[in-house]
Amino acid sequence: MNRTVLIIGIIIVAVIVFVLFAGLGKDPQHIDSPLIGKPAPPFTLKAVNTGQTIDLQSLRGKPVIVNFWATWCVPCYEEHPTLVANARQLPDVQFVGVVFNDTEDKINQFLAARGSAYPTLLDANGKTAIAYGVGGVPETYFINPSGIIVAKFEGPMDSDILRANLAKALR
Amino acid sequence: MIATFFLLALLQIKAPDAAQFVGQPKGIPLSGPRLEEQTMAISHELRCPVCQGLAIGDSPSIMAANMKAQVRELLERGYTEEQILSYFEKSYGQFVLLKPKFQGVNTLVWILPIAVLAIGFVLVVSKAKKLEVAPVAPPPEEPTDDPYLAQVREMVEKP
Amino acid sequence: MTATFGRFLILASVLVSTTGAFIAYAAGAKRSPEGLKWSQRFAYAFAGLMVLATGVMEYALITHDFSVQYVAHVGSTQVPLWVTIVSLWSSLEGSILFWGFILGIYIAATTWVNRNQHQDYMPFAIGTWLSCGAFFSFLIAGPANPFLSVVPAPLDGPGPNPLLQNHLLMIIHPPMLYLGYVGMTIPFGFAAAALLRGRLGQSFLRPLRASLLLPWVFLTIAIMLGGWWAYEVLGWGGYWAWDPVENASLLPWLTATAALHSAIVMERRGVLKGWTVTLIQASFLLTILGTFMTRSGVFNSVHSFTQSAIGPTILIFLAAVLLFSVLLLAFRIDSLEAEGRIESAVSREGMFLVNNLFFVVFTFTVLVGTVFPLVVEAVKGKQMSVGRPYFDAMVVPVGTALLFLLGVGPALPWGKTNRKEMLRALLPPLVTGAIALVIGYAFGVRNAWTLLTLLFGGYAAHVTFAQMWLPLRQRLKKGDAFAPALIDAQLRRGRRRFGGYVVHAGAVIVFVAIAVSSTMRTQQEVTLTRGQSTTFAGYTVTFTGTEERAEPHRQSTIAHFNISKPGGPSGGGTSGGSSGGGGTLITTMEPRMNQYAAMREPIGTPAVYSTIGRDYYLSIMNLQGEQAGILIINMPMVGWIWGAVLLMGVGGLIALIPARKRTYVVVPESAPTIDDEAIA
Repeated sequence: MNRTVLIIGIIIVAVIVFVLFAGLGKDPQHIDSPLIGKPAPPFTLKAVNTGQTIDLQSLRGKPVIVNFWATWCVPCYEEHPTLVANARQLPDVQFVGVVFNDTEDKINQFLAARGSAYPTLLDANGKTAIAYGVGGVPETYFINPSGIIVAKFEGPMDSDILRANLAKALR
Repeated sequence: MIATFFLLALLQIKAPDAAQFVGQPKGIPLSGPRLEEQTMAISHELRCPVCQGLAIGDSPSIMAANMKAQVRELLERGYTEEQILSYFEKSYGQFVLLKPKFQGVNTLVWILPIAVLAIGFVLVVSKAKKLEVAPVAPPPEEPTDDPYLAQVREMVEKP
Repeated sequence: MTATFGRFLILASVLVSTTGAFIAYAAGAKRSPEGLKWSQRFAYAFAGLMVLATGVMEYALITHDFSVQYVAHVGSTQVPLWVTIVSLWSSLEGSILFWGFILGIYIAATTWVNRNQHQDYMPFAIGTWLSCGAFFSFLIAGPANPFLSVVPAPLDGPGPNPLLQNHLLMIIHPPMLYLGYVGMTIPFGFAAAALLRGRLGQSFLRPLRASLLLPWVFLTIAIMLGGWWAYEVLGWGGYWAWDPVENASLLPWLTATAALHSAIVMERRGVLKGWTVTLIQASFLLTILGTFMTRSGVFNSVHSFTQSAIGPTILIFLAAVLLFSVLLLAFRIDSLEAEGRIESAVSREGMFLVNNLFFVVFTFTVLVGTVFPLVVEAVKGKQMSVGRPYFDAMVVPVGTALLFLLGVGPALPWGKTNRKEMLRALLPPLVTGAIALVIGYAFGVRNAWTLLTLLFGGYAAHVTFAQMWLPLRQRLKKGDAFAPALIDAQLRRGRRRFGGYVVHAGAVIVFVAIAVSSTMRTQQEVTLTRGQSTTFAGYTVTFTGTEERAEPHRQSTIAHFNISKPGGPSGGGTSGGSSGGGGTLITTMEPRMNQYAAMREPIGTPAVYSTIGRDYYLSIMNLQGEQAGILIINMPMVGWIWGAVLLMGVGGLIALIPARKRTYVVVPESAPTIDDEAIA
């Protein structure tokens, strides 16, 4: 029996099998955000529905939910009612929507048709989205009262997911 | 209309800026064909976060286009390639770098193939030397299904 | 009814393959001719069941029988017939059934061809093949069952993935790939048989090599078709992205190519048997790894099938065959005795060894790069990427080294040579290499690697051409007439050799074409309003308008462009705003943006205008009203890649044509009589 072949072979088999088993069950599409636990990048953008300018720094003291979306994003249509309903139910939480690659008209049309309960900001060239590491839409960031990002959720949320992530910001 | 413009300017709309992540530009501002070249080059080092594995330089998606525009803008302002890659790394994570950084555990992906080449070369040389002096064994005796060959064998082995 | 019948066939094939495997192994162990006959029958039965089951599935697809789950999943009354037929392999369950179908045919054909030969090895081979067949039948019967019933049967289905309906290459790429991939099971069976029998004799080398070469030909062409498809369909102007699934198809090709080369040394000198067998096993194992990578959902890829329970099952099978192969090698590799030796390391034999080294390094690099992010995430919990910049950086030097060997290897004579002969063999091709280098430089090549590729490529082309026609030249020197010498020396006797050099010729062109098309590629992004033109790389592009087209599964916006030779009153100048600029119209190009109902982002289809020297490639970046943002790419020599790979396939097929069997004629010196006794 060739001892060398046996040992080398067993090692190779073990490594390959271990690596592949470890990979099972992980979602390859999900990206971990490096910003979790770090301060939220500040921005000052204009709200297209209320006309005011919102500065993220000024929102400290309350938990903030920043939801990135766009009118060309189909799953965002599903998510919108959840956000509006929760915004109305949770006056102590500041909801903020950020839209990129879109026009004011389209956004206002959307909000007029589907309701709005919080400021929706226009990020004209998507720089805010890039700074936050946004890959697709919708993506939502949960910021605690001290301005630290505590959670990020990719994809449309339902109320349970929203509340569960919000709880992290309230700790 | 003009009043709105003034108001907007006064209100200072500000998206987050690279300066907050990587500081001031360390290189010279680029323009013209050199700018396009470098934008292309760096765009091929950054991964589009929504496409499966494509570089932002190759992807038609909106996010990729935004990221490419951002790369171009940063180059125009004089940021170096290192700074630009670092900026994206800070917001997207190491995931966004298509070329693994040569640090920590990532060095292995660069070193292992070279190690295999070196070890393999040593093995090949030693095997070649061994084969040069190998004793020649007779071919194995095989039963054959060729009737003529069997007949020949029989005749050869007959005393 | 159909679904039930299909399920029955699959269950039967599980039973038949499992039983057949047991019988075959027992027949091998006992050296029983009767056992062998039964093994053959079980092999044919397994194949028959698989073919029948596949036929049933195609029938269900074509008749739109939505009570069968797979048909409900991918069938649709709205798609053309060819899409319906190819949807057999468009989705996971159907593609595994297709795997079983191809495997069955391979097993039956190989068993039949060798039905009266190699009785020593065949039972073990059949046993191994049927064990693999059993696994795939089990997969089809269990986690990946396409024959489940849907009650109540829906009236229509969604059709296959829209991306797969985009191009006719969908018809041929997957079958080619499966013929290559699945075909690796056959040499694996032969290799296992040799190990189990404890020897690998000269007479068995031919079927072993042929069974490796046939799938190799298919795999070579399949990989090229995959690249061509990505190039024509995906719109980023490239043909290879080092995507995990692309790598999965390349890995077994690399080890199989290495095995084909070491097999030549094995045949000539009787050495490297254990190594060749190891490479053949690796080729098969890599196909199983490859299918795991594609179907498990573990890897982030454009090609991935959706995640399902099938991943862990394939992984268990992979672990099992890995263990089987390692144990078999460990216990039996020493019994594959070397029958000879090599005379000198600096010889053609020695170059084969170096060739194998580089192929192994190539394979290892691609494998490590592909799985590394997985390892890091498993061990450190962090996500990182290994993308094109890594692979290009690592693979280009290895590829260049292989091109170098392509020239130097065949130039060196077999066995020991003296210094003078060696120089006489190695120096003349340098002239051709230098000429190629100069020509390239004159055409504007400045990239160092491409220049090196041209030098090595010219050298290799010279050597390949010289060696290819060597038999003919030797005959002509002896005084034979041209035509008969050509046919006899090259095609009748020297087929394997000739075919091999045809493959090499194709390979040289592939290397050079890849180097030139990647480094001499130029591109321009420009936005044109309707009527506006721009001139780039020798053509004037005029945007003439858009057109909307609604199809059942997608909404397309087609942009029309006129391509003309620059010149004429308003030709030349970029974005100068000339209407109808340019001279004579050469062609029109129609790239499109497609919005599929099922997908988030729109997918563009590029327009490609191919000529012999270069491809002119137009891709839409964005379309807004009267403005089109386009990417124009000029890529020299791309078409040569597809043609040259096809040439490699042709070379392989030439080498595969079997030689007429040698017959022994026994002529006694004189007719034996009753009185004769000792006849020498």
